[in-house]
Amino acid sequence: VGFIVRRLAQLAVVLVLVTFFTAILTTMVPGGTVDAVAPFATAERKAEISHELHLDEPLPKRYVAWLSDFVRGDLGKYYDGPQTSHPVSDTVSNALPKSLQLMLFAQALSLLFAIPLGVLTAYRAGSLFDKAVNTASFGLLAIPNFVLGLVLAYWLGVKLDWFPVLYDRTLTGFGGTLQNLFLPAVSLAAAQIAVYMRLLRSDMIATLQEDYITMAKAKGMSPSRILWRHALRPSSLTLLTAAGLNVGALIGGAVVIEVIFGIPGMGLLISQAILGRQFVALQSLVAIIAVGYILVNVFVDVMYAVLDPRIRHARAA
Amino acid sequence: VSHPASSRAAWRRVIAVLVAAAFLATACGGSKSNSAQSSGSGASAGGGAEGKPVTGGSLVYGLEAETTGGFCPQEAQLAISGIMVARTIYDTLTAPDDKGDYKPYLAKSVTPNATYDSWTIVLRDGVTFHDGTALDATVVKNNLDGYRGTYPNRKPLLFKFVFENIADVSVSDPKTVVIKTKTPWPALPAYLFSSGRLGMAAQAQLDDTSTCSSKLIGTGPFKLKEWVQNDHLTAVKNAAYWQKDADGVQLPYLDQIEFRPIPEATQRLSALETGQIQAMHTDAPQIITKVREDRDAGKINEIESDKFTELGYWLLNSAKPPFDNQLARDAITLAFDREKFNTIQNNGIPTIASGPFAPGNVGNLDDSGFPKFSLAAAQAKVKEYEAATGQKLSFTIKTTTDSNTVAGAQLYQTMLKDAGIEVSLGQVEQSQLIGTAIGSDWQMLSWRNHPGGDPDTQYVWWHSGSLVNFGKIADPELDKLLDDGRKTIDPAQRKAIYENVNKLFAKKLYNVWEAYSMWTVASGTKVHGIFGPDLPDAGGKPWPSLATGHPVVGLWVEK
Repeated sequence: VGFIVRRLAQLAVVLVLVTFFTAILTTMVPGGTVDAVAPFATAERKAEISHELHLDEPLPKRYVAWLSDFVRGDLGKYYDGPQTSHPVSDTVSNALPKSLQLMLFAQALSLLFAIPLGVLTAYRAGSLFDKAVNTASFGLLAIPNFVLGLVLAYWLGVKLDWFPVLYDRTLTGFGGTLQNLFLPAVSLAAAQIAVYMRLLRSDMIATLQEDYITMAKAKGMSPSRILWRHALRPSSLTLLTAAGLNVGALIGGAVVIEVIFGIPGMGLLISQAILGRQFVALQSLVAIIAVGYILVNVFVDVMYAVLDPRIRHARAA
Repeated sequence: VSHPASSRAAWRRVIAVLVAAAFLATACGGSKSNSAQSSGSGASAGGGAEGKPVTGGSLVYGLEAETTGGFCPQEAQLAISGIMVARTIYDTLTAPDDKGDYKPYLAKSVTPNATYDSWTIVLRDGVTFHDGTALDATVVKNNLDGYRGTYPNRKPLLFKFVFENIADVSVSDPKTVVIKTKTPWPALPAYLFSSGRLGMAAQAQLDDTSTCSSKLIGTGPFKLKEWVQNDHLTAVKNAAYWQKDADGVQLPYLDQIEFRPIPEATQRLSALETGQIQAMHTDAPQIITKVREDRDAGKINEIESDKFTELGYWLLNSAKPPFDNQLARDAITLAFDREKFNTIQNNGIPTIASGPFAPGNVGNLDDSGFPKFSLAAAQAKVKEYEAATGQKLSFTIKTTTDSNTVAGAQLYQTMLKDAGIEVSLGQVEQSQLIGTAIGSDWQMLSWRNHPGGDPDTQYVWWHSGSLVNFGKIADPELDKLLDDGRKTIDPAQRKAIYENVNKLFAKKLYNVWEAYSMWTVASGTKVHGIFGPDLPDAGGKPWPSLATGHPVVGLWVEK
């Protein structure tokens, strides 16, 4: 518990650093919110709008005001025009669950395929099967996710009509969600499968050289028992770390995939906030992603202890 | 040392957490189901046999973009997707017919005085907004004042410039509004349409200073039900709509229309092919090619139009070197192989532009005298320019980050290089493009503008002194033509004036024209009524233009 509390305390520090860095970056980007919402306005009018929307205040003051609002649950506003706006929280409440679903589905799919393939290729290292899987994994790594997305949409969506080519909100429930997210999740997961599989394979090969594995073999234990019960667990830590860190890559990849499959998720919101120079909204969105990213990695740290008793005992000590 | 039991339990815990999280996320994202939609399947091709309209049903329409700034009529920046929504919720006072003449629409009549500097607008009886309030002269006056920047609760941007020629708007009785203009202004009815952007909003929306962009209240054929940004905008039939078709059937025909922003054009078409949506629009040549194949195979309906359309062009900053020099403008125009450009960049689909006025518009000419491609003549002009200025002819083309637009600039760059012109490429984001054009730090921009209607609606883009004269054109001859065109009442004289504008552009080359945009609406074979019914009061056939969207009031779906 103490460990988790310490990590959550770190969360606050990271959150401030990430969002303040984002705020600094936004000052370096050409153009501003007023240029985007009021492009036809004269310079004087733009200055007026900027003042009316409190966008002309110095960065530290703006940042403190934003942070104060954010911790109280106010995510700020999207500015629609010279005076109209709508709350960021309205769009986030619709977008965040969809992005979470997509990310979890993509991760689950990646692990579902990567773990058996990693174990089996390690067990049969150097075999034709190992070489074939490795070659295929290079292929998956080489295909950009948006290309794969479009190809899958065409073949599995248009030609075979197995999955919707666009996010369909009328498909509800767990089954409907799986149907909706299958193509985008596969598009995102393909490259991750290759990465996870190769990481696990190399760790498993090292583990299989350990003395206790030799001992297990000498005792006549079956290969499947050795692989799945004795070798996989200590070989999983790198995979788990990569899976946690890859949440960032999934969020990045989701920007394009969400556009292609019409998923109104966080990636789409972030890209719109950047292109529309909605910097207040952008800070809140980045903060939400940062919080999620940190929480996932706290979860990964907790899982280390679950998977490896040595870490649990060391922490307890 | 192994611990089989604890290992198994550990993995079970991991899996259980992942599955629980997935369920939790699914539950959080629970969405409502909507009514069934008809999918487009059948055998008719082309535009589809129209037949007798059927009332009922719903339709999902794929738009090319979300209108992130919302739909507050006076302040919104509406591109084609936004205009589609605006024409669903709001009505305009006038609407164009198939010849481009503007007829009363929400207004019962729009009548000028003898000198065309005072216009009397009489409103229809019995028209109500979606909130039940009546359409009267006061709310129309407030809307018009909102557009021109004199209504306190609205802060318009572009329309403020557009309506600078209005001197006063007044209410003469509960159903009559009088507009007085600073000069005779025969084109005013065209401005009351403004490509479908000049919708009338209810007083409550007009006075809403914080959520005018999202709480839409019009008199249009459909009422806003729900707008979830980036996902869908659903509008349901306005049962109290004021318009009936020629057979006396209550409009609109559909019970519901849903718009879905699908920026990726390939996916938009895929969604149509699989029946997830029933209609879509596009001007992307590669997609139009595929749409034509599907149409020829009888899979979908398709309607194309470049009537009254906009055009793509290279916008020049004529206040800054090198394009403040006619020789430079001559050289880059002569070096532009438009046939080749159109074939490579646009699959040869759109028609090469002869001038700023598209087919159907007053001022359109088959041959305006715009120079034809000649590499030798371009090279000679480059030498002339260099001899006259002592400078090498070089400049930067700025485009948006859109890959197709960048590819077009690269192609033009190659052509210019052949003529000895050195060109750099730069990029600005879409949201910064207009701000860039208003400023002076640019030489050439890839641009698209001038959709059809009355040619006077182009006044603000070209007249010196206008903030949105992006090209900084300061040409007394052009100013005089535009001023004369604005005041002239006689149609024949107006035609001659705008043809002269066209010829002047071909001579002075303030812009380098590319092609007239071809817009396509593809739909399921059971979807009909894209251009809408005839205008009310026997006002004529509907406007055959797609460049600024189309009405949804006449859409219907076969059972």
